[in-house]
Amino acid sequence: MKKTILSFCMVALLAAVPAMAQVDLSNYAALGDSLTAGFVSGSLMDFYQDRSFPAVLAAQAGAPDFEQPLVSEPGFPPILELVHLVPAPVIQPVGLVPGLPVNAALPRPYNNLGVPGANLFDMVFATGDINNLLAGNTDNVMNDLILRDGIHTALEQAIGLQPTFITVGIGNNDELGAVLAATPIDGVTMTPVDQFAVLYNNAIGALVTNTTADIVLMNLPYSTAIPFATTVPPFVDIPGLGLTPLMGTNGPLTADSLVTLLAGGLIAQGYGLPGGPPLPEDLDFLTGEPGYVLRPEEIDIIDDRVDAFNAVIADVADTYGLAVFDTNAFFTEIVAGEAPSYGGIEINAGFLLGGFFSYDGIHPQRIGYAMVADALVQFINAEFGNTIPRVDMADVLYEGDWQTPGIEPAAAKDVVLSREGFAEVYKLFAPKLANAPRIRRPNTTHRDLPNIDVRRKPELRP
Amino acid sequence: MNAIKHRYVLLGVAVLLAMPSLSWGSGFALFEHGNRAMAMGGAFTAVADDPSALFWNPAGMAFQTDEGIQLVFGGTLIAPEQTFYGESPYPGAGYTADQVEQTFPPAHIYLGIPINDRLELSFSVNSPFGLGTEWDDDFLGRYIAQKTDITNFDLGASMAYQLSENFAFGIGVDYMVSTIELHRIAGLINPFNQQLNDVAEATLETSSINSAFAWNVGLLWKIGGGFSIGGVYRSSFTIDYEGDGDFTQIMTGYPEFDAVIGSVLPFDNKVPITTSIEFPDFWTVGLSWQNERWTLSGQYGEMGWSSFDELTLVFPENPELSTTIPENYEDAAQYRIGGEYRASQHVALQGGYLFDETGQPVESMSPLLGDGDRTGYSVGFSYFTDRFRFDLGYMYLETDARSTGGASIDGFEGTYDDGKASLAGATFTIKF
Repeated sequence: MKKTILSFCMVALLAAVPAMAQVDLSNYAALGDSLTAGFVSGSLMDFYQDRSFPAVLAAQAGAPDFEQPLVSEPGFPPILELVHLVPAPVIQPVGLVPGLPVNAALPRPYNNLGVPGANLFDMVFATGDINNLLAGNTDNVMNDLILRDGIHTALEQAIGLQPTFITVGIGNNDELGAVLAATPIDGVTMTPVDQFAVLYNNAIGALVTNTTADIVLMNLPYSTAIPFATTVPPFVDIPGLGLTPLMGTNGPLTADSLVTLLAGGLIAQGYGLPGGPPLPEDLDFLTGEPGYVLRPEEIDIIDDRVDAFNAVIADVADTYGLAVFDTNAFFTEIVAGEAPSYGGIEINAGFLLGGFFSYDGIHPQRIGYAMVADALVQFINAEFGNTIPRVDMADVLYEGDWQTPGIEPAAAKDVVLSREGFAEVYKLFAPKLANAPRIRRPNTTHRDLPNIDVRRKPELRP
Repeated sequence: MNAIKHRYVLLGVAVLLAMPSLSWGSGFALFEHGNRAMAMGGAFTAVADDPSALFWNPAGMAFQTDEGIQLVFGGTLIAPEQTFYGESPYPGAGYTADQVEQTFPPAHIYLGIPINDRLELSFSVNSPFGLGTEWDDDFLGRYIAQKTDITNFDLGASMAYQLSENFAFGIGVDYMVSTIELHRIAGLINPFNQQLNDVAEATLETSSINSAFAWNVGLLWKIGGGFSIGGVYRSSFTIDYEGDGDFTQIMTGYPEFDAVIGSVLPFDNKVPITTSIEFPDFWTVGLSWQNERWTLSGQYGEMGWSSFDELTLVFPENPELSTTIPENYEDAAQYRIGGEYRASQHVALQGGYLFDETGQPVESMSPLLGDGDRTGYSVGFSYFTDRFRFDLGYMYLETDARSTGGASIDGFEGTYDDGKASLAGATFTIKF
């Protein structure tokens, strides 16, 4: 009898061990930025939010009630569409009237707390008030839309959910501004590493202390490898002259320089060409006009910053015993054209035809997000012993766009991406020069708030 | 703009590059070289008493000098079937597809000429390798292979000599001629609707005679008491293929996208491609016993598939496109037993069983060939006189189901299941 009980217990133990190690995704909070939010083609829109990687991951895991701050078509800001591919690609917003929040009355925090434009500091300190947005004010759109209550930050709302599972994908906007403005400046377009380290440690510490969730940290991809930076070559083919380097404000561009997508319009006007004005290379502090050229040493500075942030993320993960999803390696594979093939179909990071990226050249489209979700499924299955089914990529590949066919006649312009069309997107992700000391401390009188200790305040910016 | 153009060019390149990983397995080797031998499960190396010995053991011809000039012709119809059950991520769980049913008719022709009572010269035509797979037009693996045909003819000449009453050897040369034809679809993400669209049909076809020489040697020793031991070795050979890639555009209904595709893919001219394939060697040894009425035989063999470790595609006019695909095949063993019962002066019945391992690793399984270990059961019937012989054979061959298990090189995951084939044929022998 004793033996029977003993062996029964052992069987129970053996059976229980793997089950206990598994992650429970039934209450999943996704913290992060636009990549977590499912931002596509310069817009946050329900069709793509439903296909964001957290939403796909939740669906694969069978998680019920994964709620998101949905915005109706054509999204906010109005989504970009490809109007013409030849003779030159023309990408424009689908309209001028943005979509409306359609899930704003949800009486609890959203599961997807990714805030487009948010950097680490914002995740910890920014709040938003839906009434401000509904009153027609667009000064704080994404925070207003997603955080809503005017009181609690994204971090606090994640804790408030008492989730069983959390992904944290934050930090892209702590250096992306350096690429968008083609100007890496510590403390201005890039968050200082020591500040990032303190804040990251505190934020993750707060999650570990105040929730019982399994937490997966996602590190950061190289933003110098996105189509926004890699599509326009640093030279032009001039009939009679052959390949001619573009002229920047600091001299002719070398072949290993990157020119941002926004420069397309300027080059069409003669900037950088022989006889034309030089292409502005760096951010103009007076006008806020971005630069358009990343020199190799600038690329190195930005990549080094990503490496430093990723080292911080790895350190913090070590400290708290958390798993890190290697977004950097995942994305590097896609850029190198070494992404897994789907029955012979290769998805790569090329602009417009690569399949991974959307029309803004910064964010993936639904195929890219589905690939992220599938990679996360594999990661979670391997790391925690889950058996979440992988994403059915055939469904994803054959599914149409949010509007099919969606091509309306428009006058072709010789630009890669219309500046007007990109203005709204740029506003969201541009370096925040105007509000450098933007410390908005949370109201700590609320009892459900974590006690976040920021020992070191961000430095004041010039 | 240049970067965009450059990317288009790269896409054209990618379409060419994504040639399917050419996969071969035991399913690509054919062992149907005479319906009597097939009906005995192919356990014929230590028997070798009719001209299909030219494949199974050329030494056997030396013991057939008293049969006179033998002319043999026959064929075996092979009708394979297979169903594919998809898994995620691509083509996804719940997806199934059946191979299009086809029938292949590998034929064999032999001529045996006795020079004296110890020496026999023989000539043969047969197909030691061959493969044909076809899937429906809407098959989700069409980007890898929609239709594949590989043929291989062996034009052989051999000499067998009886060293003593009980011992003979045979040697032969084989002139191997081969053709390849592959059809696949090129797909791209349409930038207008971000949906996977078929944009071109690609055909890779060999354009000239691709050939190589091989050799074989066999021994047959009648050790007494009705027992015989036989062994054969057939060498590997390497065929250098020259072919052309040919593209036909498929319109997507998006004129600007179609225009871009039309400007990058070489729809107007053929793209030369060369490759080289080392076919495996093969050896087998067997033991048989026979008396007046019965023959029983068993043998073990190995096919040296490890020769097929990589496939290099060379684009002579575009060297930057050249690529090497890992294949990593392993040597594969095969076991065969069979027997014959001679019911009368004119009638005989055969039966046999075989187990044939696959050399194909799971990661190389693809719509071209999703192979597995094979088990075969065979029966046969013969009617014969002094001058004439007629053999009927039938074999039922089952292929074990195997899953790619998430390891597919082509990212086409699933289980190749319900693999089976019926083989039926007739062989006629005339003796002069």
